[in-house]
Amino acid sequence: MTAAADARSRPAKPRPSLAVPLGIVSFLVITWLAVSREFGIGLDVGELIGNLTRIEGLLWRVSTDQADRGLLNPNWPFLPQTAEPMLETLQMAVIASAIGCGLALPIAFFVSRVTTPNAGVFNAGRSVLSVIRAIPDILYALIFIAALGVGPLPGILALIFFNVGVVVKLLSETVDGVDVGPIEAGRASGASRAQTVRWAVMPQVLPNYVAYSLYVFELNIRASTVLGIVGAGGIGRILYREYSLFHWSNLSVVIVEVFVFVILIEFVSIWLRRRLV
Amino acid sequence: MIRFQNASVTYPGGVHALRHVTLEIPAGQLMVIVGLSGAGKSTLIRAINGLVPLTDGDVIVDGVSVRSAKAGDLRRLRSKIGMIFQTFNLVKRTTVLNNVLMGRLHATGTARSLLGWYRPADVEIAMQALERVDIVEKAYVRAANLSGGQQQRVGIARALAQEPRFLLADEPVASLDPPTSHVVMRDLQRINRDLGITTIVNLHFLDLAKVYGERIIGLRAGELVYDGNAAHADEHVFRDIYGRSLTADDVLEAKPVV
Repeated sequence: MTAAADARSRPAKPRPSLAVPLGIVSFLVITWLAVSREFGIGLDVGELIGNLTRIEGLLWRVSTDQADRGLLNPNWPFLPQTAEPMLETLQMAVIASAIGCGLALPIAFFVSRVTTPNAGVFNAGRSVLSVIRAIPDILYALIFIAALGVGPLPGILALIFFNVGVVVKLLSETVDGVDVGPIEAGRASGASRAQTVRWAVMPQVLPNYVAYSLYVFELNIRASTVLGIVGAGGIGRILYREYSLFHWSNLSVVIVEVFVFVILIEFVSIWLRRRLV
Repeated sequence: MIRFQNASVTYPGGVHALRHVTLEIPAGQLMVIVGLSGAGKSTLIRAINGLVPLTDGDVIVDGVSVRSAKAGDLRRLRSKIGMIFQTFNLVKRTTVLNNVLMGRLHATGTARSLLGWYRPADVEIAMQALERVDIVEKAYVRAANLSGGQQQRVGIARALAQEPRFLLADEPVASLDPPTSHVVMRDLQRINRDLGITTIVNLHFLDLAKVYGERIIGLRAGELVYDGNAAHADEHVFRDIYGRSLTADDVLEAKPVV
C-alpha cells in the first residue's frame, strides 16, 4: 500500500464555517450602532469622565446632619429604624420561598421530559412557564399592587411567581439528567407513575432542590429591595425613601445591611448543601 | 407459564429485534437465554413485562395477554414479575431498605407511598428479602456505599420484595467480577429452587449458562435458533448460536467459589 493511497482514503478537511467571523463582525457593528450618536445612546467618554467628579460628593460629603453625609460615612444610629422593614423583607422572603418552592416541586415533574405523563402536558407546561419567566418580578409587583393595593401581600405574590419560574426551570432540567435506570426498575415492578417519581426520581434530585430553594430565598432578599421601590413593602421602601431624600449615609446603612444578610444566607446555604449532597 | 406466540418486535428505526418467536416457559423453570449482543436477548425479556411493546404476535403471562393489556392490567401483571438489571438500577442516594421497598409500591396506596408510610408488614417483607440474599445488615446503608456484587443482591431483594411468580434477569452478572458472578448466579438458582419462581436469565458467558441453566435457548438476529436442555448444549451448539467460532471472551472461566 502506498502513501498516496492512504492520503486518498482520508476524509477531506471540512471548509471552515463562516458563522464565527460573521458573528464577530455583526456583534461589533451592532455594538457600534448602539453606542453611536446617530442611531444609539450617544455615549460620550469625555462626559463620562467629567461626571466622575460627582462621585466625590456621593462618597465623602461632609455635613453637620448625620443623615446627610456621604456613602462612606454610614449613619449607624439609623440602623434601628431599618429593623422592622428588614424583618418584613425576611418574612416576605420566607413565605414566598415556602409557597413558591412547594408549588414548584410537583410542577417540575410535569415539565421534565423524563417524568412527564404525556407530550401535551409537557408542551403546555413549558409554554406557561416561559410566559411566567418572561414577566420580570417588578412587573408582577406592579400588577398585584394595582389589583390589591400597596403593601407586603402584592410583594409576596410577585415573589411566588418569580420563585416558581426559577425553581421549576432549574429543577426540571435536573430531572432531565437523572439516572433513568431506577425509573425502569419502578415501572417494571408495577409501581404507578407518581410512586416511581417519588421513589426513583425524587431521592436523586432532592439535594439540588434544597440548593435551588435556598438560592431563590437569597434572590428574594435581593429582589425585595427593588420591589419596595414600587410599593411592595420591605426594606426596599426605606431604601427608596432615603434615596429620594439624598440621605446617602442612611442609604449606606441599608446597603450594608442587605449585603450582610445576603452573605449570611449564602454561607448557610453552602453549609447546608455540603451536608446534604 | 409464559407463552410466546409468534412474537415480533420491530423498533421504530426498522431494526427487527425479535422475529416470530414461539416459545413456552413452564412454571418453575430456570431458563437461560444466550446470544451475541444485539441478538434480541434484552428485547425478549422486556417483551414479557411489556417494557418493550410487541409489534406482532403476543406474549401470554399467566393467561394474560401482554399485548392487549390496558395500563392498569399491565401494572398488575408487572407486579407479579420481578426484574434484575445489568447495571442494578438502584437509587444510589437512598438507603438499601428504601430501594427494596420499591418492590412493595404495587401493594401500597398512593398517599401512603408518597409519604413513605409503608405498612410494617411490607417493611417485614423487604427485610426478609434482604435476609434471603444475605445482606440485611446493610439495610440502612446508602446504596452508593455498596460494592457491585452487594448492589446486585439488593437488586435481587427488590425484585423478591414484590413476591413475584416470575423473575427476569437481564445480564445480571455482566458488570461483576467472576467470583461475584457465581455468588449472584447461585442466589438466583437458590431462589428458583426454594421459592419455585420461574426465572429467565440473559447471559453472555456460555460456561455460566451451562452451569446454572436448566434449559438454554439461543437467539441470533432476533430468531430462536436453539432450544434445549442445558446438559446437551455443547460447543457445536454455541458455535451455531453465535454463528462463529468461540473465543476466550465467551467464557467466564473462574470456578465457582465453594
